[in-house]
Amino acid sequence: MALFDAFRASGSGMTLARKWMDAVGDNIANINNVSRTDEDAFRQRFIVAQADDYDGGHTAGSAGGVKVAGVAFGSGEGRLVYDPTNVLADDKGYVKLPDIDMNSQMGQLIVSQRAYQANAAVVERARASYEAAINIGAK
Amino acid sequence: MFDSVSAAALRSALDGLASRQRATADNIANINTPHYLAARVDFESALRDAVGSGSGVAGSTESRSTAPTREDGNNVDLDTETMSNLDTQLRYQLVSQAMSGKFSSVSLALKTS
Repeated sequence: MALFDAFRASGSGMTLARKWMDAVGDNIANINNVSRTDEDAFRQRFIVAQADDYDGGHTAGSAGGVKVAGVAFGSGEGRLVYDPTNVLADDKGYVKLPDIDMNSQMGQLIVSQRAYQANAAVVERARASYEAAINIGAK
Repeated sequence: MFDSVSAAALRSALDGLASRQRATADNIANINTPHYLAARVDFESALRDAVGSGSGVAGSTESRSTAPTREDGNNVDLDTETMSNLDTQLRYQLVSQAMSGKFSSVSLALKTS
């Protein structure tokens, strides 16, 4: 166990929540991306969370915490929309839009924001604890 | 004097509380991680035995919670963790103060000559 371990664990949680918000932001920004029907639509991004040092007993100087194990992509199948005036429309007048659910994205945005806030609150409480330890023996 | 039972017990308590603080931080960091089981730190029972046997030196043990999991296999409960975090913080400050009190009585003894 190293000094100030709680900071590192909470910091990793904040990093994960921020990357999750980045992915949601990317998905929402591209929600109206138009593609040709013979191309893949924009694939939505998912963050893969994995516990760090889950069974390690925290001996090797790791504080545990969480890490982004990777990014997963949704389906590129998309949905067909009839829009004959679009320059990307095929000969039947269809274009392809990504199959991203706005409600799910907004829900994820709230969950990631709350996770960030919970981790930030832990940092503040850990700080107060460590401050008490630093002041041991002080006048 | 610095190796008295009370000093050793206070030191063990600080170690155990710091471990619990870290475990809580770990749990909250992993609140959305699938198949993550919350970590639990226990040092009170070992410390009680150690003080009873006159040594005061006790380690802490870490285990995984057996509470029912959510749909994603995770069983971290934010309310429980927040309360544990707050409780641990206050206990840590309390033990720190007790430690400070111990040292200030030592420094008082050093001055009176």
